[in-house]
Amino acid sequence: MKRKNKNKIISYSKARKQYLKRIKKDKILVLFWQIALFVLFLGIWQLLADNGVIDPFFFSSPSRIVSTIIDLANEGNLWIHIWTSLYETIIGFIIATLLGTIIAIILWWSEKIRRIMEPYLIVLNSLPKIALGPMIIFWVGSGTWATVVMCVLICIVITTISMLNAFISCDSDKILLMKSMHANKFQILFKLILPNSIPEFTSVLKINVGMSWVGTVMGEYLSSKAGLGYLINYGSQILKLDIVMASITLLCILAAVMYLLVSPLEKKYKR
Amino acid sequence: MKSFLEFKNVKYFYQTKENEIKALDDVSFSINEKEFTSIVGPSGCGKTTILSLIAGLLFASEGEIILNGKPITKNDGRIGYMFQRDHLFEWRTIWQNITIGLEIQKKDKDPEKLAFAEQLLKKYDLYNFKNKKPRQLSGGMRQRVALIRTLVLEPELLLLDEPFSALDFQTRLKVCDDVYDIIKSEQKTALLVTHDISEALSMSDKIIILTKRPATVKEVIKISFHGQTPLAKREDKEFGKYFEMIWRNLV
Repeated sequence: MKRKNKNKIISYSKARKQYLKRIKKDKILVLFWQIALFVLFLGIWQLLADNGVIDPFFFSSPSRIVSTIIDLANEGNLWIHIWTSLYETIIGFIIATLLGTIIAIILWWSEKIRRIMEPYLIVLNSLPKIALGPMIIFWVGSGTWATVVMCVLICIVITTISMLNAFISCDSDKILLMKSMHANKFQILFKLILPNSIPEFTSVLKINVGMSWVGTVMGEYLSSKAGLGYLINYGSQILKLDIVMASITLLCILAAVMYLLVSPLEKKYKR
Repeated sequence: MKSFLEFKNVKYFYQTKENEIKALDDVSFSINEKEFTSIVGPSGCGKTTILSLIAGLLFASEGEIILNGKPITKNDGRIGYMFQRDHLFEWRTIWQNITIGLEIQKKDKDPEKLAFAEQLLKKYDLYNFKNKKPRQLSGGMRQRVALIRTLVLEPELLLLDEPFSALDFQTRLKVCDDVYDIIKSEQKTALLVTHDISEALSMSDKIIILTKRPATVKEVIKISFHGQTPLAKREDKEFGKYFEMIWRNLV
């Protein structure tokens, strides 16, 4: 009897062990392929470029990208370009997120204003913001602020629409509950609507990381004297496509880092 | 006993773009203090309209509603409202949830009120969960917290809008018992709205039966059982008779 029991425990823990092992194996497998794909991609790219199958002048190669980045860094301008793009993006990101949320609050507050503004929001949302590019330069001049404005324009409408949707989808019984406790509209906003919308807010942040980089690169294409978008433009004009590819690589890294900084927030507040 | 809540010939019309809908037609009834009353009626008959009128969130088109000698003319905080779902705020702890009403009414520094809130938590076995988040509690406990949240404000009248309908049957019987127990021991006057005849029967001293829309009062039935708790009442042999009487009035 005793023996049987013991066997039982062992066989149970075996199943458990197998289960844990399988999960771990899956995890390692996924990670392995993620890295393998990356290495394979770079390797084949390098190989094709070295053997002249693709023309490294047009397609560049991993080694050329690395040496270009090192060259640019040694020249000392690279940091200026990275810093310029980074702060334009961050300023645009913050302004767009805050302003978009504030506008959403105003639209939530007054149903009248919401109904009046609805067609304008729809048109603004579907308008390709890049079309406003030339006008922006006339309005705020070229340079950093033109880029920031472009960045804000690209992010703000989607921020407003997403946050407004989050605000008005709040359960009407919850609002009724607040009212039955004699809450005024401010209290309903600050104690219910805003904290209730934090999960949506974190996904807006995540979307805006991507969108604000689009805005910055667009803005720098239009008119700029520094920044990674400027560098891409410059590289293509002087036909140094290595510079273009190096800038794109740096953009990838920066956007990924910013995304990684924001995404834990989303996980934390996920419902 | 003097009547605590009184509906005097109340009519209510809903306005929609297409037309005017008569929801309540000449509704009159009264509720005594510390009594537990239920309103039953066919679905869509305007039960929730009645609750909104009492809470001062809607206003009667005609007639008058008097609570504790004073007519209800606005949402003046004399009412506690309990909903189908507990609507606890997930980002607040249990303690922060039950004191939200005090916070709203700027009484959250009042030591007497805070002591009362704490005492309620202790009395109903939730004190150990004070600093937990709602998602860490079972459905039944959450509904108890929701009830305490309304009791903290010491409302004159408690409105219950099908407060058990979101729970599964087992939990429902248990929570029904708990809520009944709390309301009775706090000596609250309560008005329950439900479509569940057994639930109304097991909790109420009096049942008001409404007709279908436009609603009027069809019958008022006084209930008395030997049993004390809702669960015990369900086993009373009179239960079936009452059930049939109400059911016949509904169809």
